[in-house]
Amino acid sequence: MTEPSDVPTDTDQSKWDRYAAQPCRSTPTGHETDADPMVAVYRHDTHKLLMRSHTAARDTYGGVRVNEQVPLGADQAAALLSRPRGEPEQTVANHQSPLRISLLTGTVGTTDEMTSMELEQAVQDLVTIEDPEAMHAAWLDSSVASRFNESVYYPYTSAKYHTLLAGALYSNYRAGHDFADLALVVDDIDEIVPHRTIFQTTDCSLRLTATPGERPAAPLGEAPAQSWADVWSRLPEHPLPDTRHGRILDAQLRRIRSWSTALQYLEEYQETARRLGVER
Amino acid sequence: MTRIQEVLWKLDWDYIGNPYYVSGHAIYSALARHLPADVKQALHVSPGVFVPGEYGAYPDAHSQSGGVPYMGTGLRPVEEYADLFVFRDAAQRWLSETRPRDAHNTHTMRQFGDRTGYGATRTFSRPPEKRNSKRTMSWYIHAYCHTDANGQLPLSEETLDGLRLGGARNYGFGQTTLEATRCIDLDGLSYPRLEQADAYQIELHSPYVLASDYPGADDQSVPWWWDYDGDLRRRDTQLIKGDTTYDLRTVDHGQIVTYDGNSPIMSAEAGLFGIGTHSKYGFGQYRFRPASDDRVPERAADSKPHRGDL
Repeated sequence: MTEPSDVPTDTDQSKWDRYAAQPCRSTPTGHETDADPMVAVYRHDTHKLLMRSHTAARDTYGGVRVNEQVPLGADQAAALLSRPRGEPEQTVANHQSPLRISLLTGTVGTTDEMTSMELEQAVQDLVTIEDPEAMHAAWLDSSVASRFNESVYYPYTSAKYHTLLAGALYSNYRAGHDFADLALVVDDIDEIVPHRTIFQTTDCSLRLTATPGERPAAPLGEAPAQSWADVWSRLPEHPLPDTRHGRILDAQLRRIRSWSTALQYLEEYQETARRLGVER
Repeated sequence: MTRIQEVLWKLDWDYIGNPYYVSGHAIYSALARHLPADVKQALHVSPGVFVPGEYGAYPDAHSQSGGVPYMGTGLRPVEEYADLFVFRDAAQRWLSETRPRDAHNTHTMRQFGDRTGYGATRTFSRPPEKRNSKRTMSWYIHAYCHTDANGQLPLSEETLDGLRLGGARNYGFGQTTLEATRCIDLDGLSYPRLEQADAYQIELHSPYVLASDYPGADDQSVPWWWDYDGDLRRRDTQLIKGDTTYDLRTVDHGQIVTYDGNSPIMSAEAGLFGIGTHSKYGFGQYRFRPASDDRVPERAADSKPHRGDL
């Protein structure tokens, strides 16, 4: 593995100010997390999985500290990868809901039916994991977090991939890397780098890192923005198989700008193709 | 006088064909049967880019500014070089932020037996209080053509109307109607943004052919004035003429290189026509940008902070 370990460094807080949005929580809660900081990142949007707004967010859930602000502006930067800047506007008038709309099918919810109790249990199982690497692996594999959007204003976005992006950015920031140093990297499918891998598929894994080494990589650019189509179409190798379905999927991915929307689309397209038996 | 003719078709029926764009060859073949031999011989056609018939606003690099209702449903003014490209980027960055942009710019998948194609429209449900419960968005296809000989353009509206593009045409797939067309005199075009720049990026808009099995086609190397680190992404594709399929090896569209030549305006204009093998069918087309430009304008670090979090 070529990745540097996650060593916290004296990253200058001020350089992140330009990404700083209004604080997520206006009142300090008194007791800060004693969990691993990476684990806290995966719990930062627990309120979204429980379909509660920020203001109605609670401090603990399932016996663990949740909904804490992510340090170093990683949450705001991840948001900028997937949503427009400035005041949010409701983009889908008849869907003001934390449930994600599928960009592929236009439907809400997933095929595996769950009762609300089962769903809440699945959310609790996901956010109460204590081991940071196990937590990252569980998010990569999660079908629960992908039921929810990352903002009710932008219902095609994905809470799952927003969280993985926030985790990858934070992991890189705390190792001393600037946003402008980062690249999207294509890895082999079984090559999972804790906290840096943002997507795992049947064909490849995708990772955010400042040290791509020999792997195919495309730079993210100077600042976080809805740059998915640009970065994806610049990759020096095709991450997807050169088949009819690989090309159809690639063609859509070159049209999508929001990162979490695109990653969720990639996941859903491959799952759907598999289910329909048109895998290749 | 160097002219190109821009064409915008509305897609009336579902499409099965090249998933990235309607290939220049597919458009050429549909047109060719209506053309006299000399025009057919001289005609060059660009790929047809899928354009959502939606709200939008002129991008920063455009000579015009402001929002346009149903921007994607008509041809827009062209005064400067950059104006030619408003619809040529698959990411369609002019789409309005106030509506779900990515949902407007991805295709509805339709399954026909074992073939997957694109729906001609995209349907969105509307709030219950509205009179119509559905909102339907149409897809458009934008392409342009030019000829080697003078006096052959414009192709007539009758020639351009009612074409079927892509595969399964006998079953009605790829049916289009002509929405708009017009000629642009390239000699009257200005290049202010390129003239002010001293370094350039080249964005490859269609594959550049390195090798072709087509009889008489020579292998081509990457142009000397393309500068890049590492590798350029390759793509194997095909050119189908009649019953014969010719394999092509290309540099894939979407790649970006730095310009390392001395005549940027001339090189930029050449990119409109395409360079290298099979440029007649729209291969080797590219766009020049000042190197200081970002293809994703919001990436400029001084923009407003984000406040989208609930």
